Amino acid sequence: MAPRWLAGVVFMALAAFPLLAADYWTGQLTRYLIFGLFAMSLSLVWGRAGILCFGQAMFFGIGGYVMAACTMGLVGGALTSSYLGLAAAVLAAAGFAALLGYFLFLGRGLSGAYLAIVTLAIAYILEQTLKSAYTLGADNGLSGVPPIDLGLFGASVELWQETPRYYLVLAIVAAVYAALDRLLASPFGVVLTAMHGDPRRLAFFGYHVLSLRLIVFVIGAAVAGLAGALFVAVDEFASPTLIGFGLSTEVLIWVALGGKEMLLAAFLGAIAVRLMESTFAELLGDFWILALGLVFMVSVVLLPRGLIATPLGRLTSGRHRDGT
Amino acid sequence: MPLLRTVDLRKDFGGLAAVDGVDFGLEAGTLHALVGPNGCGKSTLFNLISGALAPSGGRVFFDGDEITGLAPHDVARRGIGRKFQVPAVFDALSVARNLAVPAWARDGLAFWRAADTDAPMAALEQVGLAGKRDLPAAELSHGERQWLEIAMLLASRARLLLLDEPTAGMTVTETAATAELIGGLAAAGDVTVLVIEHDMAFLRDLGCPVTVMAKGRILRTGDYAAIRADAEVRELYFGRGR
Repeated sequence: MAPRWLAGVVFMALAAFPLLAADYWTGQLTRYLIFGLFAMSLSLVWGRAGILCFGQAMFFGIGGYVMAACTMGLVGGALTSSYLGLAAAVLAAAGFAALLGYFLFLGRGLSGAYLAIVTLAIAYILEQTLKSAYTLGADNGLSGVPPIDLGLFGASVELWQETPRYYLVLAIVAAVYAALDRLLASPFGVVLTAMHGDPRRLAFFGYHVLSLRLIVFVIGAAVAGLAGALFVAVDEFASPTLIGFGLSTEVLIWVALGGKEMLLAAFLGAIAVRLMESTFAELLGDFWILALGLVFMVSVVLLPRGLIATPLGRLTSGRHRDGT
Repeated sequence: MPLLRTVDLRKDFGGLAAVDGVDFGLEAGTLHALVGPNGCGKSTLFNLISGALAPSGGRVFFDGDEITGLAPHDVARRGIGRKFQVPAVFDALSVARNLAVPAWARDGLAFWRAADTDAPMAALEQVGLAGKRDLPAAELSHGERQWLEIAMLLASRARLLLLDEPTAGMTVTETAATAELIGGLAAAGDVTVLVIEHDMAFLRDLGCPVTVMAKGRILRTGDYAAIRADAEVRELYFGRGR
């Protein structure tokens, strides 16, 4: 776990960014912050709890579509508040994870590579289903998703300008990071580390390991659902690509490159890969994917703890030897 | 009434009876050893009591309640703590945190409070690891890991300790220290200890009653000297003609 001062430095630097950069980049970084939030959810589930969820985008996509459907008035004309949309998105993603986790962990006892394959398959199935769901725009998705409206009691405070929207997203992301950091520093977080190391030993002390896994899975899904909801409101567009195979594997790469065991590193991993992609993708064309793949393989072999987590860990070593 | 009692306990693995009708009782506050050659069924018996395996037949009672076929976490919550043959400690955590984890299992798990302050230090002092509380468990020696796991059972406040070869891989000095430690635990009367062991010197040091198992059944029960002198036990361990 990254020390708090380090997280403070990172979020302060992100807060200073719009003062120095053009509006276009502020808009891009808003999206990258959201991908970073999404990466944190996988870091929690995969890196900290050892649950190989290779279809994490399903929760991102569910959050996105629920937010879009609510705020566009597809659910009910009166229920278009952004607050309701965000709450519904988080609850829907968490609820789906609870149901899925109940059947996969408690019902079938799935873990490891089997769970990875099943979750990836479910994400793929959801993507295909949405592509033919005409009420939700099918292949074209839902365009014209309204921006986040912070107004209350009939007043309207729509955040459609780049800078205020950036700060709202940054505040939400920082708050979720602080909450997850606190959760991981609690006894529950220590037990998660123990579970990752030796689940059998934990069970013989009286812990119900499958319930612990289910709790983390649901928390991770709620965070991913929130990220998806924020994304469609910023992008003003929800499409089947948000829920499927592609984004599920992309987030795996961000998290693995950054460092899956350190939430802050996974967060920065997502931002770094997206920043590099927008810089190099045009320059390198199709070779970008090849270059990213090579970097990924080199990092997995040489720096398995992650390209960002390894130097950050060195920077702060000695004080956090117990891995929490 | 015994604290632990098994009645006609059985476990078949595809026609092979690993545990074949074991009736065993253990009084509260006592220390008892279980010995026997490899494959005699003593580890399977531990697995049946601790919930790692479901029995094919028979019943297990603990403290008056039937616990036959309960899951490991349910058995543990009732106060049976198990030490594994290969020491199972949490390498990524400090020694103090290793003790906090089993303590939270009893006291309740907090989600929103910093974990820093918790550490049941008494258990650590009992096993002589108090000076290493902030060290990662991965940096302990093999013998220290065995002791840490015993301390973890004490921290969980288990009433019955099932110790599977607690001196495996230990030096002679460490083995003697372990015998003293386990003897001390039982003498204090807070816990009941059932220990699986191969090491004869260790059994002599423990000086407790011994039950010998062979081919899934109980062969003999008696004190160390009687077991040592028993012709049938000698034949079991050393083969015919000795």
